[in-house]
Amino acid sequence: MTAEILNNIFAQDEKDILQEVMNIAFGQASAELAEVIDIFVILSVPDIQVLQGSDLPGYLCRELQTSGTVNIIEQNFLGKFAGQALLIFPSGAEKDLLTLFNQDQEFINNDIDMDTLERETLIEVGNILIGACIGKIAELLADVVTYDPPRLMAKDLCLEDCNKSPVAPDSFVISIRTVFRFEEQNVEGYLFLITNQKSIDWLKKALFAFLESFG
Amino acid sequence: MIFSQIFETINTGLVVLDKEMCVRHWNRWMALHSQIDSSEIVGRNLFDFFPELNRPHFIRNCRSVLAFGHFCFFSQKLHKYLFPMPPAGSLAEEFDHMQQSCSMGPLRNESGEVESLYLSVQDVSEVVSYQKKLVRMNQTDPLTGVYNRNFMESQLAKEVVRCQRFGHELSLLMIDVDLFKNVNDNYGHQCGDYALKEITRRISAKIRQTDFLIRYGGDEFCCLLTETAPAQSLKVAELLRQQICDTPFLFKEHEFSSTISIGVAGFDENDVDVESLLRKADSALYQAKQSGRNTVVNTAS
Repeated sequence: MTAEILNNIFAQDEKDILQEVMNIAFGQASAELAEVIDIFVILSVPDIQVLQGSDLPGYLCRELQTSGTVNIIEQNFLGKFAGQALLIFPSGAEKDLLTLFNQDQEFINNDIDMDTLERETLIEVGNILIGACIGKIAELLADVVTYDPPRLMAKDLCLEDCNKSPVAPDSFVISIRTVFRFEEQNVEGYLFLITNQKSIDWLKKALFAFLESFG
Repeated sequence: MIFSQIFETINTGLVVLDKEMCVRHWNRWMALHSQIDSSEIVGRNLFDFFPELNRPHFIRNCRSVLAFGHFCFFSQKLHKYLFPMPPAGSLAEEFDHMQQSCSMGPLRNESGEVESLYLSVQDVSEVVSYQKKLVRMNQTDPLTGVYNRNFMESQLAKEVVRCQRFGHELSLLMIDVDLFKNVNDNYGHQCGDYALKEITRRISAKIRQTDFLIRYGGDEFCCLLTETAPAQSLKVAELLRQQICDTPFLFKEHEFSSTISIGVAGFDENDVDVESLLRKADSALYQAKQSGRNTVVNTAS
């Protein structure tokens, strides 16, 4: 079913270029995160799916294959390439991220309670990861993207209990999924970039422009 | 011309930094609130003026904005403020520094490359003040100023998890004012309110900072004693009982005495949740009432 929709929207060569652009973008994002800001994160080869909006919750649930609860950070990005980024961590990962991102303990003893510290750290880490991936995609496709502030969409959510789609049920969504892994902390999570019909026409043109730039 | 006027007159602090953290622009708002004129700071390194920003967190965000061209939203709850500035007007009583919401974004040159970054600073002291007030209202009892039941439920749940995970001690005192209705009936409700306030004042003075006093219902209170075994909490309960019955209460021309009954329960391995601890304390309180009031009863006894 998903393969069918994908075939209707993207021709095989378009699919190949899209996959290639995402491979390059996520590879560069990973390399620059390590080089520029000392965050060592491995991003898996992105998996691209085209789905109907109503199928999104079921798809997320199948892809995540987690039995426990999760925290979800949501951030909208706006440009010709526009949509929603969902960053999903298993519950408890915020404690590991805190040791990774607050090594110099700059926020300890600042009358901030632990819950707030963990939650806000999760959001700030999310902002950097999402920004790195989208920034690289936009750069490759010659677009300039702006962002809404990220927010914690769900805390300790049990995915199986959730059937509400974050997008309109009758819309098409392109889901770009990567599994990321912070090596030092043994933390894994998922990043889904969800973009919609409006971006598709532009995306196709941008993909070919990208290809032509290699002459 | 128009844009430069907006830059100078907007009610937001705006700063432009280059890749070396050198200040390129510093608007009037920043000059007025920081007392540093743009002529002093432009062309100089930001960290010469604000050494507290020279820390990994801030630098990491600057570098990621320059590298990826994304935006950085500094969490207000985490940072409180980036630039130390005096709070405006009457809010100075509440805050040492103006509370700020700050964000950072890329600035590109004609070929689209990120060349510098901007910082925007907004005064959100008033919003933070309201947030604090809301949290306070949500957690405290307006009459006595002690914590309310809403707070207790979330705090007790957290404490129970901590006890289960780390094997810490936790005790709960369920406190009831004996024959409180008589105070209201004999001297009026104003006097009843005074008695409740006076009782909480006396109890608060005798418990530790790490303990929690909660108004559970009308004349029922609850005391959460962290890191305290039942044997010690029994002593605390006895002390509290004496604090109330030893000194008479004085409201206008009325002098009257009051007593409290206390049920004590300690968290142990048989307790699976908050409810089982509350049930134990409740039944101990019931026994205290049955045995003639002005008494402390431990569940173990």
